[in-house]
Amino acid sequence: MDGSIKDFEAAIAELETIEKKLEEGDASLEQSLALYERGVQLSRFCHARLEEAERRIEILTDRGDLRPAPATLSDDERR
Amino acid sequence: MATQSDLFDVPFEDDPEAADATAPLIEPAPAPAMDVAAPIAAQVPVAPAPRVAAPAASTPIAPATRQVLSVTAITVQIRDLLETGFVEVWVEGELSNCRLWNGHLYFTLKDDRSQLRGFMFKSALRYLRFKPADGLRVVARGRVTVYEPRGEYQLQCEHLEPQGLGALQLAFEQLKKRLQSEGLFSVERKRPLPSLPRKIGIVTSLDGAAIRDIIKVLARRYRNAHLVIRPSRVQGEGAGAEVAQAIRAVSRVPGVDVVIVARGGGSIEDLWAFNEESVARAIFHAPVPVISGVGHESDVTIADFVADLRAPTPSAAAEMVVTAKDEFCHRIDRLADRARSALRMRLQRDSRQVHALSGRSALAGVPGRIAMRSRDTAELRHVLTRSVRARTLAASRRLATLQRQLDTFDLGRRLAAIRTRLVSADGRLDAAVARRRHRADLQWRGQVARLEAMNPLAVLGRGYAVAWNADRTVALRRAAEVAPGDRIRVTLADGELGCDVRSRTEGVN
Repeated sequence: MDGSIKDFEAAIAELETIEKKLEEGDASLEQSLALYERGVQLSRFCHARLEEAERRIEILTDRGDLRPAPATLSDDERR
Repeated sequence: MATQSDLFDVPFEDDPEAADATAPLIEPAPAPAMDVAAPIAAQVPVAPAPRVAAPAASTPIAPATRQVLSVTAITVQIRDLLETGFVEVWVEGELSNCRLWNGHLYFTLKDDRSQLRGFMFKSALRYLRFKPADGLRVVARGRVTVYEPRGEYQLQCEHLEPQGLGALQLAFEQLKKRLQSEGLFSVERKRPLPSLPRKIGIVTSLDGAAIRDIIKVLARRYRNAHLVIRPSRVQGEGAGAEVAQAIRAVSRVPGVDVVIVARGGGSIEDLWAFNEESVARAIFHAPVPVISGVGHESDVTIADFVADLRAPTPSAAAEMVVTAKDEFCHRIDRLADRARSALRMRLQRDSRQVHALSGRSALAGVPGRIAMRSRDTAELRHVLTRSVRARTLAASRRLATLQRQLDTFDLGRRLAAIRTRLVSADGRLDAAVARRRHRADLQWRGQVARLEAMNPLAVLGRGYAVAWNADRTVALRRAAEVAPGDRIRVTLADGELGCDVRSRTEGVN
C-alpha cells in the first residue's frame, strides 16, 4: 500500500476495500492495525477535500466560455 | 389575477350599441348568473314588463278562428321556447365586434354563414384566462336568452376559451403517449444522482426567482458547491428550443455531474416550453442525471416525466443535491466507524483465544511466574524510581532554598553594614588608642621619674664622683686597684676627667 492518496474517488474506493477486509477478519493482527490506520488517513483526506473547495458560480455563454457570475446573484445571503 | 383592463384591449365605449340605430341598452344588473329571472327583468327598460300569460298557441289556427298575438306576446313565447330549449350549449366560432361596456363584454360569434350575438357579465369575466380579440377562434358555453325590446336572441356566456387551449391539451396527451411508448419515461433508464455532486449545471433564466432560490438553498447547506449556469428563456416563442440547447451545452461541460432544469410557477401556457419534444429528447440524451424543478407542486410537464428525478420546485431540486452530498459524508463516517468496530472485535477475539490457551495446564504456571517476575521487576523499578525521585526532590528543594537565600542575600547591604561598623569601630579604636597612649604616657613619665630617682649618677649632683679604670669598664672601689701612675677616669655630675694617679693612700675610711 503506497502512502500517497491519488484523488477523492481513489480514496473512497480504498476506504471501502479496507472496510470490507476488516469485516472479513482474515488479515493478521499487524495487518489489521495497519489497514485501520490507513483507513483513518483516507477518511481524514476525504473530509479535508470536502471542506476545502471555494464556492464558485459560473455562467456558460453561448460561445461555450465560462465566465464568473455577476455579484448580484450571490448577494442574497448578505441581505 | 389579471384585472380586466389587462385582459382586454377592446375599445371602451359608453354606448355598446353605438353602431345600432335603436335605443341604447340599459346596463344589466350584475346579478349572479344562476338566477335566471333577474337578468331578464333587468334588460327591460324603465318599468319591468309584467309577465304576460301567453295563451296556449300550439294548435294550428283554423281559418274561422285565428288568434292574433301582440308583438310582445309572441316575443315572450319565443323567449320561453328558446330559453328552455337552449339551457346549456357549447358554441364555437370567431369573435368579432368585441367591446366592453361598464365592465361587461359584448361580442358577436360568427362562422362563414351565420352570426350570433353574445355577452358575458363582469362576474364571469373574472375567470377569463386569455385576451378576447376580434378574429380569435373561441369556444363558448352559455345559454340563449331573448332581448325583447330589440327582438334579439343572444348567447349569455358563462365560459369562454380560445379554441387553441383544447388543442394544447390534446397535443400534450398525444406527445406524452408517443414518448412513453418510445421508452423515454422508463424507470429503468433513470440514473441515480452521483454520490457526491460537485459541479452542478443549471438551466434557467437569470432573472427569475428560480435561480435565487437554488443559490439560497446551496449557500445554506452546501457552501462550496460549484455551479455552472447556462441562462435560457423559459417561456415564449422558441423557448423550448433554447432550453433544449442549454441542456445539451451545460451537461457536456467537463466535470458537471448533475443538471437542474428550473423554472418558477406559471400558467400552462407559461410552462409550455417544458412540454416540447426537443426538451424531452435533450433530457433523455444528457450524459449526466437531470433533475427537473419546473413550476409548482401541482404542475406536471413532459420534462418531469423524462427527467431522472422530479422536484416539485426549484428549491426542492437544490435540496436533492444537498441530500446527496450529506449522505456521502455520512457514508465516509460510517465506513470509518465500521472499520473501527471490526478491528475492535478482532482484538477481542484474539485476546479471548490467548486466554483460552493460557488456561491449559502446560502453560498454566507460566503466566503466573511471568506475572510474579514482572511484578518484582515492576516493584524494583518502582522503588528505584521512588528513591531516585526522592533524592532528586530533596536536592532540588535544597537548591531552591539556596537559590532563595542567594536571591535574598544582598551583598551590597552587607558590605555597607560592615563598612558602617568598621567606621564606628575605627572611631572607638582611635579614642581607645589615644586614651591608652595617654595612660602609657603617664605611666612612662612616672617610670621615668622613678628611674630618675634611682639613677646612681643622680648622686653625682651632690658632689660625689665615680672613678673608673682607664677604659672605663670597671668602676674603682679600692685604692689597691690602681697604682700611682695609672691612668683613671672620673665621672662628675656634668662631665668626665681623665687623671693620672700621683699617690695612693690606704685605709683612710
